[in-house]
Amino acid sequence: MSSTKNSVSYDALVVGAGIAGGEAALNLAVNGFKVLLVEKDLSVGGNMIKLSKVFPTLDCSACITTPKVSEISRHPNITIFTGSEASNIRRVADNHFVANITRQPRYVRVEDCTACQLCEKACPVSVRDQYQFGLIGRKAAYIPFSIASPKAAAIDIENCTLCGACERACPTNCIDFTQEVEHLEMQFKTVILATGFEMFDANRIPRYGFGKYKNVLTSLQMEREIAPTRPFNTILRPSDGKVPDKIAYVLCVGSRDASVGNPICSQICCMYSIKQSQLLMGALPMADVTIYYINIRAFGKGFEDFYQQAKGMGVNFVKGKVGSISETENGNLMLRYEDINEGIVKEEEHDMVILSVGVLPNEGTTSLFSEEQLMLDPYRFVHQTDGLANPSHTSIDGVFVAGTATGPMDIPDAILSAGSASSEAISYLLK
Amino acid sequence: MEVEKGKTAKYLRDKQGVSEQVKENLKAFTQIKKRILDALKESDMTILQLSQKLEMPTHEVMYNLLSMVKFGWVETGEIDDMDEYYTYKLKQ
Ligand SMILES: Cc1cc2nc3c(=O)[nH]c(=O)nc-3n(C[C@H](O)[C@H](O)[C@H](O)COP(=O)(O)OP(=O)(O)OC[C@H]3O[C@@H](n4cnc5c(N)ncnc54)[C@H](O)[C@@H]3O)c2cc1C
Ligand code: SF4
Repeated sequence: MSSTKNSVSYDALVVGAGIAGGEAALNLAVNGFKVLLVEKDLSVGGNMIKLSKVFPTLDCSACITTPKVSEISRHPNITIFTGSEASNIRRVADNHFVANITRQPRYVRVEDCTACQLCEKACPVSVRDQYQFGLIGRKAAYIPFSIASPKAAAIDIENCTLCGACERACPTNCIDFTQEVEHLEMQFKTVILATGFEMFDANRIPRYGFGKYKNVLTSLQMEREIAPTRPFNTILRPSDGKVPDKIAYVLCVGSRDASVGNPICSQICCMYSIKQSQLLMGALPMADVTIYYINIRAFGKGFEDFYQQAKGMGVNFVKGKVGSISETENGNLMLRYEDINEGIVKEEEHDMVILSVGVLPNEGTTSLFSEEQLMLDPYRFVHQTDGLANPSHTSIDGVFVAGTATGPMDIPDAILSAGSASSEAISYLLK
Repeated sequence: MEVEKGKTAKYLRDKQGVSEQVKENLKAFTQIKKRILDALKESDMTILQLSQKLEMPTHEVMYNLLSMVKFGWVETGEIDDMDEYYTYKLKQ
C-alpha cells in the first residue's frame, strides 16, 4: 500500500546527503534559499560518516562530520528526507523543475524517538549489519549507527518477524507499523546532484578470494575495524577472531584495470591505505604491515610527507603486482606477486589481506531524469560540460553536480566542488 | 482504519504475514545463541574452543559470538599469552 500527496515547493532539490550534498544544501540555506535534501539511506553523512580518521591529518572523521551534519539537520531552510529517493525529474521551464519523491516507511515516528535503544534490546532477530559491512550482526529494530542523523530507530521490515516486542518495549510509543510508502510530486527552481560514488565489488576479481577467504577484507571493512565505533573491541580477523600480526594491502583493486572496465586511477586508495596502515601500526604496535603497490599516488598537499611518515613508522612498501591469493590451512593467505623492481614472481604469507578497492560511478544518477538526458563522461561519471571554467555545470540547464558524482576525489575536493555547485545554483536562482 | 498505538505490529502481521525465511532465520539464531550461552555457562572460551565444542565453523562462531558481545549477552575476557586469541565469557 502507498499514499500519494502533492506538496509544497522549494528553491533547490539536492539529491544525496553525503558531505558534498550536505555542504551544497547548507550553502544554499545560509543564503536564504529553501532546500529539500533527499537521501536514500537512513542517515545523512554518506561515506564520510563511516570513516575512522582522515588523511593526511589523521583528524577523527566523526569529529568533523558530526558538527557539520548537526548544522545541516538544524538549519530552518533545510528539509531532510532520509530513506527517500527522487525520480522522474523534469525541467518544465527556466527555473522550474518537477520531481517525484518517494519516501520509504521507517516504521518509527522519528520526532518521538529518543534513541533509548530499548526496541533494539527487545528485538529477537539478528541479521548482518550493513553499516559494519557485514562483519557483525544487528537487530531488525535498530539505530543505524551511533552517530547517525537522525539518531532514531528504524525497522528493517524485510527481516522483521512482526512479533511486536519493539513496540511493547518502546516507552514513547513511536513504533508505527501502519506507515506506508509516500509518493510526492514537488516543484523546484534548481537541482544539485550529489549522488556520490560506488565501491568496486571485490567479488569481480575471484583470484583475490574475497567472499571465499574470510580474512580477505575490503578497505571499507577495515575502515570500520579501526573506527572508534568499530564492530569489535580491537582489530580481529573474521575467520577465527585472531588479532592479526602480518597484514597486507593490495592496491589498485578494480582501478587502473581495463580488464574490469575501470582504466582510471581512483585517486584516494593509495592515501586511505597509507592512513589505515598508520592507524594499524598504532593499534597493533607489534604487527607487520605491507602495502603492495604499482605506483604510490601521493599528489595532494601533505600527501608525500604522510607517505614518508608511514615508511618511518615501519610500514613495508613493496612495488609489486599481486596475481592471486590462496588460503592456507590456518586461514592465513598466500600472496603470489610480481616484484616489479626485481622482475621475478614471489610468494609471501600474511594473516589478513585488505583489498584497496576503487571508486566507481553511481550509475543510477542518469536515470533520475525522465525527459532531458543527463550526459555521462567516458567513465560514466556525470559529465561536466565545461570542466575547466564551470565544473559544476551538467548537460541540463539548471542542474548542477557536486562531489564524487563527477569522479573520484577526497573530502576537501568534494567540499570545494559543493561550494562551486551551490554558487552556480545561487547565480541561476538569481537570474 | 484507526489502529491502536502500541498494537500496530499485529495489524501488519494480520495484513501481510511473515515469510518462512524470516521465521527460519530467527529460529536458527535463537538456537545458535542458546548453544553459545550454554557452552559459556560451563567455562570461558576462545572462538577456537567454542568451535570445537559446538562443532561449528570458526567464522560462524566469530560472527555470532561477537554479535552477542554487541547485544550485551557476552563480554570479552583476557587475551592469551601469545596475544592472539581472546576468551569470551557470559556478561555478569
Ligand atoms: C575506504 C575509504 C576511505 C576513505 N578515506 C578518506 C580520507 O581519509 N580522507 C579523505 O579526504 N577522503 C577519504 N575517502 C573518500 C571520501 O569518502 C569521499 O571523498 C567522500 O565521502 C565523497 O563524498 P560525496 O558526498 O561526494 O559522496 P558520498 O559520500 O558517496 O555521498 C553520496 C550520498 O548520496 C546518496 N545517494 C546516492 N544516490 C542517491 C539517490 N538516487 N537518491 C538519494 N540519495 C542518493 C548516497 O546514499 C550517499 O549518502 C575515503 C573513501 C573510502 C572508500
Ligand atoms: S590511488 Fe593508488 S591504489 Fe588507487 S587506483 Fe590510483 S594508484 Fe591505484
